[in-house]
Amino acid sequence: MRFFDSHVHMVSRTTDDYQRMAAAGVTAIVEPSFWQGQPRTEAGTFKDYFNSLIGFERFRASQFGIQHYCTIGLNPKEANNEKLAEAVMELMPLYICKEGVVGIGEIGFDDQTKAEEKYLRRQALLALEADLPIQIHTPHRDKRAGTIRTMDVLEDVGVDPAKVIIDHNNEETVRAVLDRGYWAAFTIYPHTKLGNQRMVEVMMEYGAERIVVDSAADWGISDPLAVPKTAALMKDRGITLEQIEQVTYHNPLAAYGQSGQVSEEDWEGSAGIDPTALFEGNSLLRGGMDVESAMSQYLIE
Amino acid sequence: MRDLLFPILAATAPAPAMTWLGDTVREQESAFQKRPFYYAFSGVSRHFDKRGLIEVSEERSQALDAKVAGFSLEGWDQFRLARVLLLLTLGKQEKTVFLETIAALLDTADLREAAAVYSAFPLLPHQEEFVEASVDGLRSNIVGIFDSIALGNPFPAAHFTAEAWNQMVLKAIFINRPLYRIVGIEERRNPDLSAAVSSLAHERWAAGRTLTPEAWRNCTSPVSDRILTDLEHLLDEGTAADREAAALVIAREEPDRVRHLHEQLEAELDAIAGGSLTWDHLGERLESPIT
Ligand SMILES: [Zn+2]
Repeated sequence: MRFFDSHVHMVSRTTDDYQRMAAAGVTAIVEPSFWQGQPRTEAGTFKDYFNSLIGFERFRASQFGIQHYCTIGLNPKEANNEKLAEAVMELMPLYICKEGVVGIGEIGFDDQTKAEEKYLRRQALLALEADLPIQIHTPHRDKRAGTIRTMDVLEDVGVDPAKVIIDHNNEETVRAVLDRGYWAAFTIYPHTKLGNQRMVEVMMEYGAERIVVDSAADWGISDPLAVPKTAALMKDRGITLEQIEQVTYHNPLAAYGQSGQVSEEDWEGSAGIDPTALFEGNSLLRGGMDVESAMSQYLIE
Repeated sequence: MRDLLFPILAATAPAPAMTWLGDTVREQESAFQKRPFYYAFSGVSRHFDKRGLIEVSEERSQALDAKVAGFSLEGWDQFRLARVLLLLTLGKQEKTVFLETIAALLDTADLREAAAVYSAFPLLPHQEEFVEASVDGLRSNIVGIFDSIALGNPFPAAHFTAEAWNQMVLKAIFINRPLYRIVGIEERRNPDLSAAVSSLAHERWAAGRTLTPEAWRNCTSPVSDRILTDLEHLLDEGTAADREAAALVIAREEPDRVRHLHEQLEAELDAIAGGSLTWDHLGERLESPIT
């Protein structure tokens, strides 16, 4: 069994994380371009950031047997610095058609300002031009309205919902997102977003179709093992293996696979893990005690 | 050059990809535009097979060498050759546009794109403008990038100062790259490099480690007394390949000065005289010891 974590910010994580992820069966990841915690003041730092996503970070991941992909975009927070935003828009065409770039993202709304909408539109057009999927960040505040507004803007631009993955969903947004034909991703992030028990309940209600589970692990208190841990919890709560694989592997692969830049052949021959490792005290995980103890606490609240 | 490279790529690449490339080259030549060019350059990954390697027949490889001596496609993948073909188009643009575009590509390149740009330098106009970029590229810790400049690429031999050349060769020795694939390794030997190789050997020996036998290829003739002592050390303590390297150095020396070593190296010197032992043979063998 293998996992595809389609949202994780590895530039902020250590090699210990890579080791544990590989041992727990995470085979492929998507690293979205996002805010770095500290606002950037120059377009040049965006260039270096994009360069690290397509260069060194990809190389670093490969040393642990993990396939690294990324999405390129101007995040909504920094879209509010218009001078910077314009310069970043100039840079993006250099990156979006590169090998391993599986979409434009994370883009969307944060404060839901006019500037944010302007750059959401322009980047959606860029995605159309390059025929790429879009990875959407939905706002933490006023999430439901922000999510609906995002979909309105995308449809107004002419984007096909089947090529859009809307992330950070919760119980309040999921129905509208699925009803309108989008992929609905859920971020399992301790304390502030969604715990994995709630995720299990969402699956009980909505099934597995077009649902994606990711970690969004970054520079905050977060968990790069969130996807395998949630799979373990799902297994524990009686969700079928088939459905678990769908939301933790097949769905993200199908959604981002629309870019033509990621396919299962990329990790042909990699071992993955024995699915029984997910519910038998994890003693079957490769990587020793460290990973076993990390995985044994699979509840994320 | 293009007429040679196109059929080489077509021999392994998918036909629709070749059609796309042909159309793109034609479009860019009739009306060059930066943005579509960027899309095409990186978008090579959308059309070609990322695992597809380039194969070159003996005949075509000779034709290539006749055009640009030393230029080799060994180890290239389809992405690299397709991108080099696009870069040839760029060479037809006005100088400022050409240089700006190359700089932008290099500044934002992923590993395979960077390798393609460095590989294309010996085929492009205004080569004097790319010396700094090549020297800088050699600082990379990523072997694929280092190799694209150092191996099978005539650019360094044609344009590097002795200082830059020596840095490149020493780094190649450090990170264990096959020296026989460095174009001009023979012609650009110099006394400073010989001395640096000797110092490196002493450092390694002091640490109980060894040096690739190929390193001694850089010695200029006549060798210094210090290097003569080094060669004696190789005969006392080295491997069979070290002895062969010592013999290859000695074969270039005035016989009288090295006569005392001749009898210890009789078999190796015979092989050299008979043409069955050369630096290139030694390098090839060291690179792939199984075959
Ligand atoms: Zn994120």
